[in-house]
Amino acid sequence: MIWIVAWKNIWRNKMRSLVVVMAIAFGLLGGIFSSAVFKGTSDQRVREAVSRETSHIQIHNKAYTEDNEVQYVIDGDLEKLEGVLDTIKTIGAWSARVKFMAMAGSANAGTGVMVTCMDPEKEKRVTEIYSLINDTCGSWFSQCKGIPVVVGQALAKKLKVRLHSKIVLTFQDMQGNLTGGAFRICGIYRTSNSVFDEMNIYVNRDDIIPLLNAGPGACHEIAIRMNDEEKITAAQKTLKDLFPALIVKNWKEIDQLIGMMNDIMDLYLYIFMGIILLALGFGIVNTMLMAILERTRELGMLAAIGMNKRKIFLLIMLESVFLSLTGGIIGIIMGTLLTLYTRHTGINLGSLAEGFEKIGYNPMLYPSLDIIFFFNLTLMVIATGILASIYPARRALKLRPAEAIRND
Amino acid sequence: MSIISIKDLVKSYHDSAVEVHALNGINLAFEQGEFTAIVGPSGSGKTTLLNMIGGLDKPDSGTIMIGDIDITQLGSRKLIDFRLHNIGFVFQSYNLIPVLTALENVEFIMHLQKVPKDKRLKRAIELLEAVGLGERVHSRPSKLSGGQQQRVAVARALASRPRFILADEPTANLDSVSTRNLLEIMEKLNHEEQITFIFSTHDKRVVDKAHRVIVLEDGKVVKNDYFQGK
Repeated sequence: MIWIVAWKNIWRNKMRSLVVVMAIAFGLLGGIFSSAVFKGTSDQRVREAVSRETSHIQIHNKAYTEDNEVQYVIDGDLEKLEGVLDTIKTIGAWSARVKFMAMAGSANAGTGVMVTCMDPEKEKRVTEIYSLINDTCGSWFSQCKGIPVVVGQALAKKLKVRLHSKIVLTFQDMQGNLTGGAFRICGIYRTSNSVFDEMNIYVNRDDIIPLLNAGPGACHEIAIRMNDEEKITAAQKTLKDLFPALIVKNWKEIDQLIGMMNDIMDLYLYIFMGIILLALGFGIVNTMLMAILERTRELGMLAAIGMNKRKIFLLIMLESVFLSLTGGIIGIIMGTLLTLYTRHTGINLGSLAEGFEKIGYNPMLYPSLDIIFFFNLTLMVIATGILASIYPARRALKLRPAEAIRND
Repeated sequence: MSIISIKDLVKSYHDSAVEVHALNGINLAFEQGEFTAIVGPSGSGKTTLLNMIGGLDKPDSGTIMIGDIDITQLGSRKLIDFRLHNIGFVFQSYNLIPVLTALENVEFIMHLQKVPKDKRLKRAIELLEAVGLGERVHSRPSKLSGGQQQRVAVARALASRPRFILADEPTANLDSVSTRNLLEIMEKLNHEEQITFIFSTHDKRVVDKAHRVIVLEDGKVVKNDYFQGK
């Protein structure tokens, strides 16, 4: 019955309660939507970094991770390593890469680039660069005159070259001699990260081995794509145990900034929502204090007829919780609907696109939030209601029935 | 044996630097089935005395025995529980819960006593019928007249099956018709069910109905008259 009284009590002053409920609802709507945008942006960045840049796991020669010199290939156990990779069922695909720094030059300009040399078919299963080449921008290692190379749109722009243009790569071979070759652009890709596009080019491994003067199995990096992201740590451990001389890193260790951002994102979102709820909590405290002030005589009567302090506290706490939960539920529903809608349509940042791409973010945002976030948020709303009731309830409990009854 | 026995009750208030003796050595006893009015000028100590008997305030000294329990010695928690099960209150300004219906207002105190739903519903209806509000059980206080609200308050006071009912100026806000109706109902309950009523009042109409009139002045009992045959 106290629950019913508490629920009815919050609607005594409908306008005042509605103002608080709406403040909570819109506060949460803003908080949820902002959180969804942050989370969606973060998830998208992680997804794109993994699928285009880092893959899930990378294996290197230890010396190569310290000093990216071309001679530090994975040696010795490469065949055994490749055999093991094929037997681990959680591994979806892997690609052996030769990777080195080079100077890329055209008739108009030159710049430093990272050359990734791989088997195009195997690479397609590990990274999705191949899918980021528009129909009008060539294709992933199609037949062309000369040695094919796939470059990023930002690099093509910098070198002032187009599809089928020729570029020259100059680099050191395995013996430290300066060498190079002419390559024909067979595809131009475009990710949402213009810095990446300007820096990374792709060449067929078989084409580069002779130029590098390297052995046929030369490899600097093995990039692994897992079937199940949950199994990354287990696969990493297995590989580390089997090949202790090699450096086996997961994507969080490879791109530490993104890894850290991913790890702290949830904490950040809860702190963000906590601050919003704290601000709303003060509004609830104020409303409850006003309600108690108005009902001094009634609370005195309840104490006089024998309602004990625990039940009076419960009554006020329930009113506060109902008030916050009503606003909370409305806010969560509105926030969820807005998140689902914008997740479907995406949010195009339009004029800000270039700036976003320069820092590696997709200018098309897709907000997202986990179901667990909404569950925890509901608990946080209830906790806010309880905490916001403590001070008003204590004030109510301090009332002396004999005086409160005669209050005007 | 008296149901209430008051001995040497003293209560003072400090108003700025002045000490006000609200009750100055009160000795009284009340029997089961009394219909008693406590009268006196403003500031004579009527309400203070009622608050003491009702356990809403503590005396500086003296004892108030209700049955065999000295309520001045009870701790806060026990005192609240004692009030819930032993004392009924009727206040000057009704003090009903505005969001509840008449029925729910009467039921609420039984809910606090943990009376099962069906029993408390049955008793609440019986009591509202007894005070002549059988047709208005689902009305909220705002839809009832002052007299009707005070009758609901009487029903609520009776709902907990108290040993006695304390009524502080119960007719102060009522017109003469409502006052007459209310007094008739209380008299009837007193006469038929031996329910003890103790009023503080200024109202001559209440005093005229009382079987016993206690007059207070400056915190002392100056008159304590019984009117047999009323």
